[in-house]
Amino acid sequence: MVVINLFLVNNIRYKIYSLPFLISLIALSLFSVSCSKDPIREKAVAPENPDTTQNPTSYDEGIFVINEGNYNWGNASITFIDNRTNATVQDLYQIANQHNLGDVAESMKICNGFGFIVVNNSNRIEVVNLKNFKSVKSITGLQSPRFLELIDSTKAYVTNLQKDISILNLQSNTITGTIPIYGWTESLIRYDKYMLVTSIGKYSEPSSKRKAQILVIDTQTDKIVDSIQTGKEPIGLVIDKKQKVWVLCSGGFDNFEAPSLMRINPELRMVEKVFTFPTITEVPSRLCINNTGDTLYFLKGGVYQTPVTMTGLPTNPLISADGRLFYGLAIHPKTGCIYVSDSKDYVQNGTVYQYSPTAKFIKQYTAGRIPGGFCFTSKNAK
Amino acid sequence: MKLIGQLIHPVKYFYCFSIILVILVTSEKGKAQSLKDTLQLPEFELTSKYVLENNGFKKVKIDSSIIISHLNSDLSTLLSQYTTIFIKSYGNGTLATPSFRGTTAQHTQVEWNGIDLNSPMLGQADLSLIPVSQFDGLEILFGSAGISRTSGAFGGVINLVTNPDWNNRLNILASQSIGSFDTYTTNINIITGTSSFQSHSKFNYASALNNYPYYNDFLMETVNQHNASYKQFGFSEEVFWKLKDRHLFSAKLRYNYDDRNLPPTTTKYEANNVEKNVQSSLMAVVEYKYVKKDFNLSVRSAFANQKMHYTLDSTYDDHHQYYSWINKIKFTYIGIKKLAIKPGIDFTHDEVNSEEYEGIKTRNTTSVFTEINYTPWEKLKTSLVLREDLIDGKFLPLVPAVGVDLTPFQKLNLGLNLNLSRNYKYPTLNDLFWNLYGNPDLRPETNYSIEIGSVFNFLSKSKKFYIELNLTGYYSWIYDMITWSPVDGNSNLWKPENIDEILARGIESGINIKWEIVKFKFKFDNNYSFCKSTYEKASSEYDNKIGKQLIYIPVNTLNSTLTLERWKFYLIYNFSFTGERFTGKDNLTVMPGYSLSNIIFGKNLSLNNFILSLQLQVNNLFNLDYQSVASRPMPGINYAFTIKLSFDKPNRE
Repeated sequence: MVVINLFLVNNIRYKIYSLPFLISLIALSLFSVSCSKDPIREKAVAPENPDTTQNPTSYDEGIFVINEGNYNWGNASITFIDNRTNATVQDLYQIANQHNLGDVAESMKICNGFGFIVVNNSNRIEVVNLKNFKSVKSITGLQSPRFLELIDSTKAYVTNLQKDISILNLQSNTITGTIPIYGWTESLIRYDKYMLVTSIGKYSEPSSKRKAQILVIDTQTDKIVDSIQTGKEPIGLVIDKKQKVWVLCSGGFDNFEAPSLMRINPELRMVEKVFTFPTITEVPSRLCINNTGDTLYFLKGGVYQTPVTMTGLPTNPLISADGRLFYGLAIHPKTGCIYVSDSKDYVQNGTVYQYSPTAKFIKQYTAGRIPGGFCFTSKNAK
Repeated sequence: MKLIGQLIHPVKYFYCFSIILVILVTSEKGKAQSLKDTLQLPEFELTSKYVLENNGFKKVKIDSSIIISHLNSDLSTLLSQYTTIFIKSYGNGTLATPSFRGTTAQHTQVEWNGIDLNSPMLGQADLSLIPVSQFDGLEILFGSAGISRTSGAFGGVINLVTNPDWNNRLNILASQSIGSFDTYTTNINIITGTSSFQSHSKFNYASALNNYPYYNDFLMETVNQHNASYKQFGFSEEVFWKLKDRHLFSAKLRYNYDDRNLPPTTTKYEANNVEKNVQSSLMAVVEYKYVKKDFNLSVRSAFANQKMHYTLDSTYDDHHQYYSWINKIKFTYIGIKKLAIKPGIDFTHDEVNSEEYEGIKTRNTTSVFTEINYTPWEKLKTSLVLREDLIDGKFLPLVPAVGVDLTPFQKLNLGLNLNLSRNYKYPTLNDLFWNLYGNPDLRPETNYSIEIGSVFNFLSKSKKFYIELNLTGYYSWIYDMITWSPVDGNSNLWKPENIDEILARGIESGINIKWEIVKFKFKFDNNYSFCKSTYEKASSEYDNKIGKQLIYIPVNTLNSTLTLERWKFYLIYNFSFTGERFTGKDNLTVMPGYSLSNIIFGKNLSLNNFILSLQLQVNNLFNLDYQSVASRPMPGINYAFTIKLSFDKPNRE
């Protein structure tokens, strides 16, 4: 090293001057050397008390929490809540597969012992084996997928943000066809041999230009056979014990009209009842129904509950938010417990709260970033 | 009472650190340029021989030798490698925003010859759009030092300057750079004039395919980045005219056109979206300075126009455009002994025409200010800055700053400084008016800050050895910080709100050494910054952010640059360390810290008035696989070769 030799000049003055140089050089080289070559990637900070998380032996009986993650941050994740031990496992997919789930995980469905995780902004459906959560297939060829609904054990429909409904073959795990649609389709529900799908309109257009409707699709021919007009932005769809379909309309992202809850007779394909929400800026979301099909739940700040026989919309929340940002909601199919997630300010890890059907607080669980969707394991299903 | 608490605290905090490190710095004092270069222009300030500097505030300049060796780069590269300002970079040649002293990009003002480059819409500047070739000096004003220029720059001000060299007769520079990933940069500068007139004409063109390979964790394979190409064209013309050493006229025109594709994140790589932003900006400035023995006057008027066109496939097609008319008048009076008084007035009219706003939005800002520098005693210099902003007919509270400089010893070059300030930042036009999401009820953000610094330097009798040590501690509160957050009861909606309270405190230190031995010239510059910037207020009991570090603000940053010169060869070794950055406000997720090394090796060959320079640059020398921002891949090792020919004919007299 030329540099070092120069400091060996036989002159005491130079020696003194060279001291700070040498010290800095040594520090610099130490720094350079000590730096690891590991790729620099986002990671979780090790928990302070790691005992609280333990690996359940199986994913048989519990709840998968789908953490959306931030748009374009690539930090979607899955949290598992074991119903037997109440233990939680974070980042399930990442741990099992050694790579991240992707960007904006929207929903998950279970079929034939496999989990289908719909990852919206990564344009994929990850198929995982529920025994070990290892990915067996990444389904591509979608258009910003949102939700998946099974027709039978071999076929499913997937709604998309951009265009088309995708037809998924559950044996080969490939997209076998599409049903052309103008724009964004969101929720879907099976009724008889039909699939009812909420169609919102073109994603990039204002509500005034969008046509909101429910499409009736014959699942045997994959053809749209009918449509039913709804309020703007129909986002929620459930079916009650009397086989009536309930539609929750947000009124439009741009506050175009007051949100509404509609009851539809799927046989006659007619709107039977419309309940309009009083304020245009308080937007309801996440319409759910309990296992017995007699009580509706939705979020509007807090958690609201109403029997399907109601004559008007509930005015007071069953569970008030109290400073939390309720984002996801699900009703346990077996116990009727209410699971509601707090996504905080979207830039922190969220929390899932469990309440009894009568809104008694039971337990809370830590989740990942922006917990939005829930998926109950088959043992929990009806 | 709260304020007193803030004042006691920092002293305690600062004390601990001052034991460890020796002393502070600011300053450009010893930063004489060792690499002689044709483009190097001496500082021109017609007023400087008459007036006192602004006392007690930290200002740092970047060596022009560093600037000249980075003609093929953009401003973000320069700042991230040679200063402790954190640059949040979304990828090579993509959005890069600055943040220093624990604040956000909106709290950093970027200026070109004193004229604001921050967009009135976003309130920030994209440093990747500013080519290094368009300026020849770079000064950084830390924290309250910015109050003499503007209000609201809690972090500080980055000012890009161009100055005339009255000794220059003809200076022509042509440079071509060829780099990895099909990156080409061309610069042509023609600088000519007489002892009373100078003209600077500069052209730059850069293009890159920017298809660097990286390992995509999501796809689990190495891929080439796509949709990342850019084309950048820039032109500037500046004329300076001096009349009888009394009057200085100048006119500047700057035009930049930038057409770039916005690359996908790692997890959206397969989508093959074509996301694009085309931006053009024009700025014209006229200036007049009048200098007399005990006073001088400066009058400036600038016009700026920026157009943006954003497209995403066929989904989005957005146009935004703004105009700004900026006027600045400053008067300096030094007729009273020991006193300098510098009052002034600024008037800015901003007009935004955006498809995301309802109609055209305007803003008128009038700022009345004065600086008073008082030197009661040779060793003690003080300054007071007062600024009052009137925005759209509403007065903001008074922005005051006080600074003190003390040089206690006769024989020892030790300087101490202290400053205190209160500052306000008005919301950006996007914060106020963005369709559906804007919040017209926002209040200005408030900042209280205190800073203590010291600088020590020593020059050997032979003038061959120079060392400078500096240490600064700051403590700064931001109240009512504007943060975009989800709206209660409507999960689709975000709104900016005055919700956060931030405490930013830290230490900045530097050791700069220069040594000339056996005709070898060494220079070793080290900067270190420690910055804790934390949330101090929770929005509810469920909020886990109290006491946690702000996201994407590293606690530790360090950079070291070793420069070596001999036989007209030069070598610049740059090392920078960026500490871990949290990606969640609860600090439960983190991007690990990383170190990067870059090397520049070059040779200047001169013949008569010609200098031919050949330069090889190796970036990310150890081929680190890193991301600065999550899911935004950065390139591994990459190279650039530059050939530069210059012709220089100075005034021989």
